[in-house]
Amino acid sequence: MVTILQQFLLALFATFGFAIIFRVPKKLIPVSIIVGALGWITYLIAVYYFDSPVIGCFIAACLVGLCSTIAAYALKNATTVFIIPGILCLVPGAKIFYTMEALLRHDYAEMTETGVLTLMMAGAIAMGLLVMGACTGVVRALVRKTVTLKDKL
Amino acid sequence: MHGCTGRVTNRRGDKAMDQKKQKEVLILATKAGKIMMRSGAEIYRVEDTIERICRACGVEFVNVFAMPTGIFVSINNRDQDDTVTYIRRIRSSETNLSKISSVNNFSREFTTTDMTVEEGMKILDEIENGRKYPFWFRELAAALVTGCFSVIFGGGPPDFGVAFVAGAGCYMLSRFLEKYEINFFIRGFVCTAFASACALTGEVLIPGVAYAHIVAGCIMLFVPGVAITNSIRDFLSGDMVSGLARMTEALLIGISLAAGAGVMIKAWVLLGGAILW
Repeated sequence: MVTILQQFLLALFATFGFAIIFRVPKKLIPVSIIVGALGWITYLIAVYYFDSPVIGCFIAACLVGLCSTIAAYALKNATTVFIIPGILCLVPGAKIFYTMEALLRHDYAEMTETGVLTLMMAGAIAMGLLVMGACTGVVRALVRKTVTLKDKL
Repeated sequence: MHGCTGRVTNRRGDKAMDQKKQKEVLILATKAGKIMMRSGAEIYRVEDTIERICRACGVEFVNVFAMPTGIFVSINNRDQDDTVTYIRRIRSSETNLSKISSVNNFSREFTTTDMTVEEGMKILDEIENGRKYPFWFRELAAALVTGCFSVIFGGGPPDFGVAFVAGAGCYMLSRFLEKYEINFFIRGFVCTAFASACALTGEVLIPGVAYAHIVAGCIMLFVPGVAITNSIRDFLSGDMVSGLARMTEALLIGISLAAGAGVMIKAWVLLGGAILW
């Protein structure tokens, strides 16, 4: 079995690959791959504790969204640059394949189960990003309001 | 999100903008928008960038409507009879986060300094022709992605090796098809079919290789992560049409990947390949 540390390193390298393919600017590569690897580890830990890939995806996507927003704010860059490489580890690519494999085996029960799980994981990633996006939006609006209030006073 | 506060008025030129100047501003703004959209930015960012650039040039009324397939911009001034409108169709797209980041920085710089339109155009041209990482390096990166994922999904060192080679092959095939402007559905289908063929061959030739991990790893290379992310961000900012369009794109890509792998494995069995279950 592969340990958590090895998983972390593997996710780091995998995200590094994505960062190169999607042409993340050189300076931002370290941050973006750490966000990606953290997301994957969070997913593994969440799956271990809650025993559900869907919840795992949700929590991990929340974390990736949060880290990306913070990184984007700190490094004055677009959030997308961090979110896209970060989220790619979580997208259920393997599940797509296992759905197809079950279909080929004429195992329709398993196909349905895996297929629904795939869609739900994709949905959970979406929900995670959505929730985090909404939260950061609210925080940003509050901060802006406080700043303008201060200017007025 | 942006460092610019407040509206910058009329620092470039007089109040009554002539038609020619307006056109230049429009072309500059839509070019910036086009680069971002093609590189995979979300709608909100594209619209915001265009609006900021126009406003920084002293345009009073700006209306932008952007979609993944096109950008519409109308600008007008108070003392002007006709509205000037520009439509820009966007066709192919390729994710390039560096361009998004550069245009983002460019728009911040343009709105806060006294850069002229011509200078801005020059910078945008540079950004548009910006170089990617060299091909062999991207090839290596793709191979690294598939190799690592095959191990993450439970493979061993031999799986890593086969997935490494298969991933490099897949990426090369994908670039080749892209050059001939084959659409994304066929591309996904062909690439995963090729990956499955590599994996199945590897399983026959090399002991200790399981094709499932390798195919799963190769699928990760083409997975629609960008489409999913962008569609959510579009929904979040209220761009429902674009959100739906990108969601559908993600679904179609997923189906094409599954179909490619499925058809290849089925064909392998039908042609008498030694398999498995």
